[in-house]
Amino acid sequence: MSVRQPEPVPSPIGAYQGKIDGPERITGQAVFVADMALPRMAHAKFVRSTQAHATIVAIRLDAALAIPGVLGACVGENLPKRYGVIPVAQDETALALGKVRYIGESIVCIAAIDEETAHRACAAVVVEYAPIEAVLSIDAALDPAKPVIHEYSRKPSNVLRRVHQNYGDVDAGFAAAALVLEERYDYPGSTHVALETHAALARSEPDGKLTLWSSTQNPHYVHRDVARVLGMREQDVRLIKPAVGAGYGGKCDPFCTDLCAAFLARKLGRPVRIVLEREEVFYAHRGRHPTRMWLKMGFATDGNITAIDFRAWADGGAYASYGVVTSYYLGVFMTLPYKLHNYRFESHRLYTNKPPCGPKRGHGAVQPRFALELMMDQAAAQLGLDAATVRRANTIEANSETCNGLVVTSVGIRECLDAVVSASGYHTRKGRLGPGRGLGLAVSAYMCGALHPVYQNDMPHSTVSIKVDRSGEVTVFAGTADIGQGSTHMLAALVAGELGLLPSDIRVVEGDTSLSPVDLGSYSSRVTFMAGNAALAAVAPLRARIAEAVATKLGCLVAEVTFGRAGSVDRGHGPRVGTGTSDVSWVDAVWLGEEASGPLIHAEGYTPPKIGSRFRRQSVGPSPAYSFTAQVAEVSVDEETGVVKVERIWVAHDCGRVLNRAIAEGQVEGCVYMGVGEALAEEQRYDGGRMTAPSLLEYKLPTIHECPEIEVFLIESHDPGGPHGAKEVGEGPQLSTVPAIANAITDATGLRLREAPFTPERVLRAIERARRKGAG
Amino acid sequence: MLPFPRFSFEAPDTVAEAVRLSALPRAMLLSGGTDLLPSVKHRLFQPDVLVSTRRLRELRGVREGADGGLTVGAGMRLSELSRDAQVRLRFPALAAATASVATPTIQRMGTLGGNLMLDTRCMYYNQPAGWRAALGGCLKCEGTVCHVAPKGAGCYAAHSADTVPVLHLLGAVACFATTSGDLRIPVAELYGDDGRTWLNSPPGALLVSVDIPDAKAPIAYRKLRQRGAIDYGLVLTAVTREAEGFRAVISAVGPRPIEVSGATAEALVDAALAVVQPLATHQQAVPWRRKMVKVELRRAIGELG
Repeated sequence: MSVRQPEPVPSPIGAYQGKIDGPERITGQAVFVADMALPRMAHAKFVRSTQAHATIVAIRLDAALAIPGVLGACVGENLPKRYGVIPVAQDETALALGKVRYIGESIVCIAAIDEETAHRACAAVVVEYAPIEAVLSIDAALDPAKPVIHEYSRKPSNVLRRVHQNYGDVDAGFAAAALVLEERYDYPGSTHVALETHAALARSEPDGKLTLWSSTQNPHYVHRDVARVLGMREQDVRLIKPAVGAGYGGKCDPFCTDLCAAFLARKLGRPVRIVLEREEVFYAHRGRHPTRMWLKMGFATDGNITAIDFRAWADGGAYASYGVVTSYYLGVFMTLPYKLHNYRFESHRLYTNKPPCGPKRGHGAVQPRFALELMMDQAAAQLGLDAATVRRANTIEANSETCNGLVVTSVGIRECLDAVVSASGYHTRKGRLGPGRGLGLAVSAYMCGALHPVYQNDMPHSTVSIKVDRSGEVTVFAGTADIGQGSTHMLAALVAGELGLLPSDIRVVEGDTSLSPVDLGSYSSRVTFMAGNAALAAVAPLRARIAEAVATKLGCLVAEVTFGRAGSVDRGHGPRVGTGTSDVSWVDAVWLGEEASGPLIHAEGYTPPKIGSRFRRQSVGPSPAYSFTAQVAEVSVDEETGVVKVERIWVAHDCGRVLNRAIAEGQVEGCVYMGVGEALAEEQRYDGGRMTAPSLLEYKLPTIHECPEIEVFLIESHDPGGPHGAKEVGEGPQLSTVPAIANAITDATGLRLREAPFTPERVLRAIERARRKGAG
Repeated sequence: MLPFPRFSFEAPDTVAEAVRLSALPRAMLLSGGTDLLPSVKHRLFQPDVLVSTRRLRELRGVREGADGGLTVGAGMRLSELSRDAQVRLRFPALAAATASVATPTIQRMGTLGGNLMLDTRCMYYNQPAGWRAALGGCLKCEGTVCHVAPKGAGCYAAHSADTVPVLHLLGAVACFATTSGDLRIPVAELYGDDGRTWLNSPPGALLVSVDIPDAKAPIAYRKLRQRGAIDYGLVLTAVTREAEGFRAVISAVGPRPIEVSGATAEALVDAALAVVQPLATHQQAVPWRRKMVKVELRRAIGELG
């Protein structure tokens, strides 16, 4: 008689585990929109503006429509309803209506039997323009004498939003300061470069309904806007998010691809697919706002911050996108992670005749963090203090509230600082690496989802429904949008962990508005926190009902029943449910549960707690929890060429609790690499209104040669509100990469570069200027 | 995705057939296609027929040349050359230059012949058709004004072939087949002064091989580019020290590579700075690129030892 050794199913929480949807990706079997083909499918392409700002005088389609194989077209007048995710700033139409506002804006969409025919047809369209003076800079946008880009609004102006907030007594803070610094900083615009370009496939159903497959991060918001713009009932539109090749914030809005594919599919009575070209993604944009900043800080002799006064002007491009939110994010997070009582900020989000900016990883918070962390280093140097020690002494405590009303729960910033300072040898090596080599430190904080949804409602932000089938299969239905970041695996792991199963035992049905309950989307680092909590809430009663039925069967206490405790997974029988002495198989447990209490289906929603609303005006920024990061960069600078090489990055991120170490480390590394790109080269430049390099050959994303070794430390501060204590990990680490590199360049060269990116031209100019000064 | 225009595709078995086909109106030779095909997608070219060299046996192989050098088939992949034992032994700078092209993937498709016949490049030219339309066209394709030098008469698109500065210094000769017979053109004389008509070989000529005479002195090759891979060069520098002094070929600064010489290293640098004038053909600032000509040349001289 063999004795079965207990082989508990290892908890997936914290494990270094491949994603359950990993194999379909690495074997090329994941289905993206561009892989999808339906019978009679048409392909559509866009005619795009060659003018930065102009009235459309005429659009001549005759020649294009006469081309054999062309099936139909739509223009702005066909879809005149203005839309936008933020209800107070709905200023976009699917196609330019009456005027164009940037070079590359879509004007006409033409469907044809194949892409090449559609492309030729687009080339045959003639658009007549009456040019208007283009508004191309921050200064021009602030100039009331310049033409207004959105003339229909009640108070026409090129300022989309001005935010002004004041906390404490800033003037008194400066009066009490031993050192007051005041500098200007400039941060460039950049784009996301998701591997997959935006794409949509629409099918008009025989019953008049519509199915739309969209490469989107936010199925729910796109669903709402597509129905509204098409004049359909929301319930008649089914939006499906298939596999998506990343977003980084670039796929948060509804796009012309979604709306025109849907319109043309209904008009033509055949499926229509649109896959953007890479150049077009640069025009769809929604990337980082180029931002001019002015920062004034007061410091006591010990380095304590006595006051911050901050102003930012964001060059937002031609449409609002999430710009209203950006205007808040530019200022809100400056009160973290340092103790601060006196804070004032003013931000402007402006319209210009360029592709619209929007949310990019670290939305709105990357630019001010650059200014703040450079000034922290400068202040430490001028006060003769150690930059790491000053930061550490100044950090806020757990369970505290910032002067602008952010209620902070868990805080692991000191552990983050200690980890990178120690690993990099910051104290012993900084300033001692010789000419051309240096170390730099920066810290940052970010949010875990917004307390308030973008449209006013009191419903849950995320709902998860779980079905435990009598076959033993567990299916999780969630409106989440996995875009490669791992939300599908996260849901599977959390549910599996509760039921004693493996993540790969769980099927996740997500991102389908007809099958899955609402989740607001993959933005603001909200998904793990909110959908994760909803999943744990949804699985708990199912687990309890099964446990009770098993306890009855085994004649034990419910509390004695454990799941997956003696799983003979390897022998193919599945994990077991029961006590140390007797148990039943997982499937038997499910049968017992369903027999005892009916269908094992349960849904729960997550609604953020009503916290952090001490200031009514502070409606954008408060989050149920905040993540913290510290990083040290080591760089070398070639003083003859100006070339900066990032040699190594040590990064510690307080993610609350590690749910999956592989995914968490990957997210941190991805953030750092994106930061390295923004530090060294990524910049959207314009020549007039024309983007100079809408291509991946000339938009200088880092290659593997530019990507340093990264040492990742994951700090667990166990947030009381997070699922198993987890917080975000996908955005926060991006914030401190660029200032860490900038501070390292200062250590290497003595130069304080207040304008990114640190291209060879810019660095060499600064080196030469310093040399001339030194010589003079 | 950016679609191709329609064209027909031929892959003849013989050089004679390839030459006949490439002489047809609106025919273009395709040898690797890593640069040509993106350009066709950008509608920089609208060929009726692309004639591939990939089945031409005469374009394959590395053989001993007549004068102690090597004859390299124009159809050899760049990755084959950078790994070829003879090339590495006798012309290490050429192996380095082939290994500096774009990326390993592109080196596996791109050929030596394709590299020698590479189109000149410019930030106003290598752009999608819609972008050029917003610009009002570029002189090298559909436009009437050069946006690099609006007052100038010519086109300044930059010669960007990584292997050419080294082959030029080596005294290599390009061997073509044409409808009117074979033709030999020294690499040093293959390129002209205008970015539109940069090739001195007759239209339709098929590059069959490159004769490389035995190297007399070591060559140092440097490629300045923004990133460690993918990018075309911003300044390409090949330099050698011979009995009479230094000789260098500098490229990516105009439509043709520029040869300079000097009895001493300083004289060489002075000579180069006198004639090399990078223009605004690239995203990177002109003053910086001008300074880099000097830095790259000095570093290349340093690498000669």
